[in-house]
Amino acid sequence: MGKYIFKRILISIPIIIGITIITFYLLNVVPGDPVVLMMKEHISPDVLERVKNEMHLNDPVYIRYFKFMGDLLHGNLGRSYKLNRNVTDLLLEAFPNTVVLSIAAIIIAWGIGIPAGIISAIKQYSFIDNFFMGFTLLGVSMPIFWSALIMQYIFGLKLNLLPISGFSGPQYVILPAIVLGWSSAASIARLTRSSLLEVIRTDYIRTARAKGLKERQVVFYHALKNAMLPVVTVMAIQVAGLLSGAVITESVFGIPGIGRVCVNAIQNRDMPLLQGSVIFTVGLVIIGNLVADIAYSYLDPRIRYD
Amino acid sequence: MPVRKKWLISFVILLLILSQLTGCSSSSAPPAQQKEKVITIAKTSDPGTADVQLTTEEYFIPLNIYDRLVEAVTIEPGKSELQPGLAEKWDVSEDGLVYTFHLRKGVKFHNGEELKADDVLYTFDRMLDPKTKALNTDFLNMIDGAQERMDGTADSTRGLKVIDDYTIQITLAQPFAPFIACLSTPAGSIYNRKATEAAGQDFGVKAEATVGTGPFVLSSWSYNDQIVLAANPNYFKGKADLDKIIAKIVPDAETQRMMFEKGEIDVFDCDNARSQIPYFKNSEKWKNQIVSGPRVGIYYYNINQAIEPFDDVKVRKAMQRAINKQLLLDTLYNGTGTVAKGILPPGLIGYNPNLPGIPYDIEAAKSLLTEAGYPNGFQMQISQTVDSPNTLKLNEAVQAMLNDISVKAEIVQMDEAAWFGTRREGKLPMYTSDWSADFNDPDNFMYTFFSKQNSKVRSFNYNNEYVQEGLEKARAITDQNERIALYNELEKIIVYDDAAWIPLFHLDHLFVVQPRVKNFKVSWNGWSDMPYYEVKVEE
Repeated sequence: MGKYIFKRILISIPIIIGITIITFYLLNVVPGDPVVLMMKEHISPDVLERVKNEMHLNDPVYIRYFKFMGDLLHGNLGRSYKLNRNVTDLLLEAFPNTVVLSIAAIIIAWGIGIPAGIISAIKQYSFIDNFFMGFTLLGVSMPIFWSALIMQYIFGLKLNLLPISGFSGPQYVILPAIVLGWSSAASIARLTRSSLLEVIRTDYIRTARAKGLKERQVVFYHALKNAMLPVVTVMAIQVAGLLSGAVITESVFGIPGIGRVCVNAIQNRDMPLLQGSVIFTVGLVIIGNLVADIAYSYLDPRIRYD
Repeated sequence: MPVRKKWLISFVILLLILSQLTGCSSSSAPPAQQKEKVITIAKTSDPGTADVQLTTEEYFIPLNIYDRLVEAVTIEPGKSELQPGLAEKWDVSEDGLVYTFHLRKGVKFHNGEELKADDVLYTFDRMLDPKTKALNTDFLNMIDGAQERMDGTADSTRGLKVIDDYTIQITLAQPFAPFIACLSTPAGSIYNRKATEAAGQDFGVKAEATVGTGPFVLSSWSYNDQIVLAANPNYFKGKADLDKIIAKIVPDAETQRMMFEKGEIDVFDCDNARSQIPYFKNSEKWKNQIVSGPRVGIYYYNINQAIEPFDDVKVRKAMQRAINKQLLLDTLYNGTGTVAKGILPPGLIGYNPNLPGIPYDIEAAKSLLTEAGYPNGFQMQISQTVDSPNTLKLNEAVQAMLNDISVKAEIVQMDEAAWFGTRREGKLPMYTSDWSADFNDPDNFMYTFFSKQNSKVRSFNYNNEYVQEGLEKARAITDQNERIALYNELEKIIVYDDAAWIPLFHLDHLFVVQPRVKNFKVSWNGWSDMPYYEVKVEE
């Protein structure tokens, strides 16, 4: 297993390098100049050229890229052009906020999705099956910016139960977690349901029942473990996606997370911050996929990585 | 794994999550003491830096934690007066070149250091030092030796001289009438040499490293979350009535409005949600809580003379006459303002109330187009940034008006970076924007848009040698009446003879404040960022 993990990490290095090249190239090709954006309405051509020269933005692209990679190999992601802050500090400051939001959203997504999927599979075609599938479908169908504002309006303003925006305590996480979690619950619920339905009809489950095992043991121990294989893949990808930052949720609820940092970096053509964010996100996705694969091997002993 | 062990592990994980959730409380939770006077405002985006030399528009923090040699004080809505700030008096030589500032004694920075002339020298030299990568050098580049300093050929600024601990002399390369006004802008904020040098790259970023003399101290800054300013008990004019200002970063305008209605924020800037103005004006709860002030600024449409057929002055004049500005003002902006007739707004030195105005005249517009060779109109583009609903409404209304003279305008939306980048190249199609005064002088408007170099980077591509030489000349004239007369002449040529832009209106700036907020005034220039020294809260 150790060798497998090591191999996966090695493969991820050229992936990250490739992505940095693409990001660097794209940011240089699309219109937009970070210093022009910093000056906006107060643009002055002399100041612009002087500052760009000082920031080495007029150097050839490949020189700037190699300098960036050189710094990266020394563990230095550089300084944000617009914010004049260390990129690593910005990402490390924002990431815990996204982690908290993601964990809360995952608790809701999986807390709703998995039980809903299980119950729907056990009681297929019943009212409760239709209710759960409809409820989760509603969650994924509502655009997040809309559901976020509705939640703020009802629970924040009208009922005055929860804060509307900000991130100054546990109560601030509830509404955004519900919005994000409800949206993510649908895929988990549906996949759990369909996967469990498939497994429940297999011969070995019939055997388990024939042996006289309790239904709870049949479903939760024997069937669920096998049904969770495809669900685990989706869960790992969901975690990676959430940890990369839920921009709209963060913007509407004023959560200072990774998503907003990334989007601001794109809008400001802030190359160091954007590269840092991209590497960070790619790293998370790679780790997420690796965790999913490892979890697979625990769930299914037939899967071995040598 | 035994079931009990599974439960134990799950319980531990839950505890860790809960501890992280409680740990995410920022250092500025709602005040525990009832007596603490706190005002909470909202900003749509994080300012990024409190180093005023590195930003051209984020002035909320600088206006409250720093002071300037001279201050532009709002004496009534839309009117300002230059008053002594850190300098208690100043002299100007006869030739308008040498300014001698006599500093107040005993003014302390937030780190306890006393303000000395060397701090002023350090601050201005730092702005001009190329290593600073300052964006606001235009406010100081008229100082003698500034050019060499900025080019890196000198390691100090020749025109900055410390006479003694409390006297600094600034010599200009040539007379520049608005120099004192320039020093009153946020870009003229004074830093402490010792603290700023020690802070290095943390200056303007970390609260503990950012030091000024102002009525408030930067207490904490959680990026993209909130900024807290605490009252400076040793402020030289006396401690502010407020104990704290909390600025929450709330990107969504609708969220801001809900927070305001709930009382989570104390000031709502109606620029963020213009469509809500009728609601507030008609609401029994809020109509008496609206604070309004004129903006010493102007909304306008640019015309890019590098794009055909706008190189023809008759076409440009036709465009000026095809837009019904009063109708736009009444329907889209609730009539909160006045139609603009030139460039300089009311409240600005040099404002000319006697300009005739450009009439809304469809027939005249059609006739001008026919004379120019476009009897059936033409196709054109209006550009704007995405996610700007207010701008889109205005552009759509103007698109409909232009249709009346057979001009088919396509609205092109692009992301902000592309928009500013294209404008800088001089290639941006017609757009609408606005400008509010940085300082009270016609140069801040006329030179900004119509000087040779600025006209290109703002995509006007306006070329009139007489006007552009006049704009350079006006900067150096010391006789104020002569200056104003020249600016008034140039304004008429630019707007009426050359039709270089389409003036729209001068809009008022509306805020709604909670009943507990007292003495809230709109700044003389109508900016959203303002000093809070005189604002009070009463429970």
